Amino acid sequence: MKELYPAKQVGGFVFSLFLTVIALLVYFMDMSFTLAMTILVVTAFVQATLQLVVFMHAGETKDGGAIYLNVLYGIIIALVTIIGSLLILIWDM
Amino acid sequence: MNVKNAQPLEYSTHQNQLNILGFWIFLGAEIMLFATLFTTYFVMEHRTGNGPTGAEIFEITPVLIETFVLLTSSFTIGLGVHAMRIGRKNAMLAFFGITLLLGLGFLCVEIYEFVHYYHVGATYQTSGFTAALLTTLGTHGAHVTLGLFWGLFIMIQVAKRGITAQTANKSFIFSLYWHFLDVVWIFIFSFIYLKGMM
Amino acid sequence: MEFFERFAVPHPSPAIYASMVAIVLVSIAIVVGITYFKKWGYLWREWLTTVDHKKIGIMYLISALLMLFRGGADAIMMRAQLAKPENTLLDAQHYNEIFTTHGVVMIIFMAMPFIFAFMNIVVPLQIGARDVAFPRLNAISFWLFFAGAMLFNISFVVGGSPDAGWTSYFPLAGTDFSQSVGTNYYMIAIQISGIGSLMTGINMITTILNMRAPGMTLMKMPMFTCSSFISCIIILFAFPVLTIALIMCTTDRLFATNFFTSTDGGMDMLWANLFWIWGHPEVYILILPAFGIYSEVISTFSQRNLYGYKSMVGSMVIISLLSFFVWTHHFFTMGQGALTNSIFSITTMAIAVPTGVKIFNWLLTMYKGKIRFTVPMLYAVGFIPLFTVGGVTGVMLAMSAADYQYHNTMFLVAHFHNTIIPGVVFAMLAGLTYYWPKMFGFMLNERIGKWGFWFLTIGFCLAFFPMYITGLDGQARRMYTYSESTGFGPLNMLSFIGAGLMAIAFIIIVYNVLYSIKNSPRNVGDEPWNARSLEWATHNPVPEYNFARTPHVASSEAFWDAKKKGHELFKGEIEKIHMPNNSGVPFIMGIIFFICGFSFVFALWIPVVVSLIGIFACMTLRSFEKDDGRYISADEVKATEAKFGGAKS
Repeated sequence: MKELYPAKQVGGFVFSLFLTVIALLVYFMDMSFTLAMTILVVTAFVQATLQLVVFMHAGETKDGGAIYLNVLYGIIIALVTIIGSLLILIWDM
Repeated sequence: MNVKNAQPLEYSTHQNQLNILGFWIFLGAEIMLFATLFTTYFVMEHRTGNGPTGAEIFEITPVLIETFVLLTSSFTIGLGVHAMRIGRKNAMLAFFGITLLLGLGFLCVEIYEFVHYYHVGATYQTSGFTAALLTTLGTHGAHVTLGLFWGLFIMIQVAKRGITAQTANKSFIFSLYWHFLDVVWIFIFSFIYLKGMM
Repeated sequence: MEFFERFAVPHPSPAIYASMVAIVLVSIAIVVGITYFKKWGYLWREWLTTVDHKKIGIMYLISALLMLFRGGADAIMMRAQLAKPENTLLDAQHYNEIFTTHGVVMIIFMAMPFIFAFMNIVVPLQIGARDVAFPRLNAISFWLFFAGAMLFNISFVVGGSPDAGWTSYFPLAGTDFSQSVGTNYYMIAIQISGIGSLMTGINMITTILNMRAPGMTLMKMPMFTCSSFISCIIILFAFPVLTIALIMCTTDRLFATNFFTSTDGGMDMLWANLFWIWGHPEVYILILPAFGIYSEVISTFSQRNLYGYKSMVGSMVIISLLSFFVWTHHFFTMGQGALTNSIFSITTMAIAVPTGVKIFNWLLTMYKGKIRFTVPMLYAVGFIPLFTVGGVTGVMLAMSAADYQYHNTMFLVAHFHNTIIPGVVFAMLAGLTYYWPKMFGFMLNERIGKWGFWFLTIGFCLAFFPMYITGLDGQARRMYTYSESTGFGPLNMLSFIGAGLMAIAFIIIVYNVLYSIKNSPRNVGDEPWNARSLEWATHNPVPEYNFARTPHVASSEAFWDAKKKGHELFKGEIEKIHMPNNSGVPFIMGIIFFICGFSFVFALWIPVVVSLIGIFACMTLRSFEKDDGRYISADEVKATEAKFGGAKS
């Protein structure tokens, strides 16, 4: 049975649960908006990276570079889209 | 048809490698798809019109259940792929089965949540906020629903044909999809629910 | 009766009734013709079920040309209406419908399939591949595009055309102000073909990343492949935005949600924002492959290698990233603050720099070259000054403070036509002439082609340069008429004459095709242009397996190396070749998508559900299907090669 539960995956799962609990502090504790958003951004992106590397095996073949670049490019454009839209429609309107 | 034995079975043909790379690239588009939904949600977040705000309608319990169910399902499908790689067909099918059951559980809670929103007066037509919220959640939920069928078809194929280069390839790609849905949920959980409730 | 009234055209005119009759007659004629000549089997086997990238490319090409004429007819009607003051040829409603469909048809259903045609035909050949990475998906992409295009094109005879402009801004496009189903057509038709475009993008990226011939590194790809690759990356990240924006529009119109309404927290500006997040990258999606074609043409006909390969690639990478940073310049006057406008002014001006780098690279490629003025080269040479004018006026528009003067005037219309027509349309016509022998095995007539070029270029200048002047004088775009006292009359008449010359040019181009089919010699050999890159290292027209043996490449000009530098392209023996099987499923899926889209437009929910089930059934079928393709035996390959006049060495 043991070979069905590799340490990497189990460790990854425990760590992802841990990150979720950290994020939950935002709900259960009283803190400033800035601190709360910082915690959420950090935990969410660490969690996403964890899934990408541990569970999705993104870098395991020779296409790994292209895959990471693809995801990175997507994230950059996604952030530009979100921040730019907020700038146009909310912050600077 | 260059066969490299050093790599896992799902990469074993050139077409298989293309399929996996192609799916990763598709996930790049999915990032942008959900980014657009998040853009809309953030713009609409406080545009509630005469309807309720997020803080008034969100409930922590179902959200927590959904989050832990989906995180666990992401773990079990990871184990399923591992079992596939060491050639344990029955263990793989079991893990895939657990994953799909967890996915079904997630979907049931989400439906409950939608019904709850309906009862507290946050319907699709209520305001810009509810439209953005329900479209974002609904798009994720639709992905999960599609995944349930897709996963089921793959399980049937693995059960009938065994772990071959083709079925291993399909299973691996399905696992990528499922992990990706989990990642999207993490962002929904953090930036829609927790941000809305804090 | 109420049920049927929805399908009636809200603003009928004799022209629309005549079109209805014409559509029915032409459809009957096509069906009767195919039946009479017993071509149904041929059509089904060779075209409707094909997964061959070259045939799919040709189908894209034919569709694009058809759409060019549809969009061109709209353009002529617009110019005729504006040719004199207070004209009554069209009423306001018709004019609105025509400028809307002109924009959508030209961008989505003409320019996009045109670039996909060349991507499909040329990219696998340039990288030495047998086909694209996912041939079946490629066929699905085409049929989705085709379903979307047909859906959009029946709008004017069934239920009414969209009339809110190709940008479909809210609240105008909302149900309050656009009550007919026209805008539903816009949403659904673009949605369907957009899904197809996205899948083509994914397909091409995978193909280029992972199917290149041995020795071809990413920096040794021919320039058209390189530009297509970068264009597809933009497709990948831009089209999902459109998908979501269109979904939200559709729910606004069909399910009364409040995304873009003026009440209950809706925000109409969000649509403009999302539309241009897709819309601005879209223009680079169109222009980059066009730049690729110009690079191929200019280097071939200057008989020199392309100047500054690395700076070409670098500038395109910068364009691909910057294209996502400039979208606000489409709505500087919307009301956001000076900070935002300044940021986007600067990014917009910055994007002119890499484009300028490319212009200089082309000029330096031609410098000291032995230039041959063939038809493709004429288009390329005509493109450089005209496109520069378009680019410079673009930089004028990029200045947000000055844009308050230019916004929504004919100046803007002149600017973007001045980039798109010399940029994209000229490139596509150059590519059409250049790759014609590759596709069909004979040449287009050069003399008639040159007549076409001159008519088009002169017509273009006459049609669009006057608009700069009337625009600066204050003539607004999208106004169906103007009074005589404005003094716009003579210049608009000049525009109409120019548009007429352009129409004649397109007729000449069609005549050229027909003339050449009849009269051109069929034995052009394998290299009619003395070209340089890998796609010319196989036969004309290309056999279905592309290359009998996989080529080995050492530079971006592999064929030139083989001709002049003794590079050995093909090594080893001819072996059996693996090919994908044909399939009818993509065509059937296209039909189901059409039915689904049509039912969606009219909110007929039962057929929507049934057709959605049909789509999922097709996908399920594909999931369970065992399809390993087929092999062409070595003997068969050798026989085909012999028929083409001997194997390539």
